[in-house]
Amino acid sequence: MKRINITPRNNWQKIVEKLGFGFHTTEVPYWDESAYYSFRPDEIDAIEKATANLYEMSLCAVQHVIDYKKYELLKIPSWIIPHIEASWENDEPSIYGRMDLCYKNGEIKLLEFNADTPTSLFEASIVQWFWLNDFDKTKDQFNSLHEKLISYWGYLMPYMNIGKLHFACVKESLEDLTNSEYLRDCAIQAGYNTKLTFIDTIGWDETTKNFVDADDEVISNIFKLYPWEWLLQDEFGKNIITDSSKTKWIEPSWKMILSNKGILPILWQLYPKHPLLLKAEFTEDGFSSYAKKPILSREGANIQLIENKKLIENSNGEYGKEGFIFQELFTLPNYGNNYPVIGSWIVGQQPAGIGIRESKSLITDNTSCFIPHLID
Amino acid sequence: MKKSKKIKLVLITAALASCNQNNTPTDWENGNGGKTYLRSDSTAPYARSHYHGGGMWFYAFRPMYSYNTNGFFTRNGFSSNAIPMASNYGTNYSKSRAVRGGFGRSSKSGG
Repeated sequence: MKRINITPRNNWQKIVEKLGFGFHTTEVPYWDESAYYSFRPDEIDAIEKATANLYEMSLCAVQHVIDYKKYELLKIPSWIIPHIEASWENDEPSIYGRMDLCYKNGEIKLLEFNADTPTSLFEASIVQWFWLNDFDKTKDQFNSLHEKLISYWGYLMPYMNIGKLHFACVKESLEDLTNSEYLRDCAIQAGYNTKLTFIDTIGWDETTKNFVDADDEVISNIFKLYPWEWLLQDEFGKNIITDSSKTKWIEPSWKMILSNKGILPILWQLYPKHPLLLKAEFTEDGFSSYAKKPILSREGANIQLIENKKLIENSNGEYGKEGFIFQELFTLPNYGNNYPVIGSWIVGQQPAGIGIRESKSLITDNTSCFIPHLID
Repeated sequence: MKKSKKIKLVLITAALASCNQNNTPTDWENGNGGKTYLRSDSTAPYARSHYHGGGMWFYAFRPMYSYNTNGFFTRNGFSSNAIPMASNYGTNYSKSRAVRGGFGRSSKSGG
């Protein structure tokens, strides 16, 4: 894995905007093509294999949580447990997830699994693919996301309820809207009749016990880019269990178990000293160098990095009231004061590609940049 | 080969084409830009919102604006031609049996 500095394409902003990529820049570019990461084929094979192994282990961890009723460790409310277990037993449709991996000195370690509402999908699937076409179309890239998304939406079709497939996200985020619309684009290409709505536009018909969209059309299948824990906290949350349509929620509610950082100590308990895992516990006992992470958080918020019992970095935020986990410190590799984390995608239960986000610090937060990659 | 052979977008580029219009707030202010979108609800910070400010009209989703109390336009979320119009701007739901707004609060308080 190498970091190569290059000259960005002339007028790259216009080029990516034509793809529908509207959030490429904040104060500094979020999409950064002044460099790329180059991988050898065997390195990509290793990431792909690790992702597949970790996903299999993660599914076993979900089964373990369900079998041994470890919901309290994850602060999952008891009233949603039957829904979670039914979604797991019925193998409710799931489309994707993203593991954040640290790749350093030949070692691959799972940092966390964004199994419920991962973003940066559009950048990984579309923007970097077109970048490679412009940069050197003879090169390869670990990125079959688009093909796999269309294919897997098609595969899932018989398992959906009759009716449209709705897509919902918050209206305030162009990033979320772009990711949702990209997934809807793939679903349309797979043959679905789809409809976009916003999360706060969803209505509840108390008479029929149905969720409805802005046109009062019953929502029978819905992809939501909105975390499960937020759905549960919201006023309509408990309507999910009385919903007469038994709406198919994508991602399904069992993903609440995987997207919770409490899964990391459970994985370590099930697979102690596994080379792809970092030691993780629910208490800090026995650690001298560790990352303290809220069990529910986003965008690298409320994380503390402790080295030899001294704080070396921390991030602010509003998370942590549900508790924390403690994970052995394994710092990101340093490429000239750039610290990359590999987002390795699962689509349809299979590894499907990677996207790299890079920070100027050891915590990857919402100021990180997206850097394209290729296989050399 | 580990990359997709071919990529085609049917929705995002279509929405993009329809939104490739120079509808500046000034146009709307002058009544030249079609609808002015007014929302009755409020928006609030969300965990992350990359925003490229000023002069970019290649958005697949048009930013929505409304007047604030000082008479200036303020950004108020996004709209898309792909969405039912009722979702894009304020709707009178009085004839509907459904209650709305029961989802979305956590995004406003969750940061």
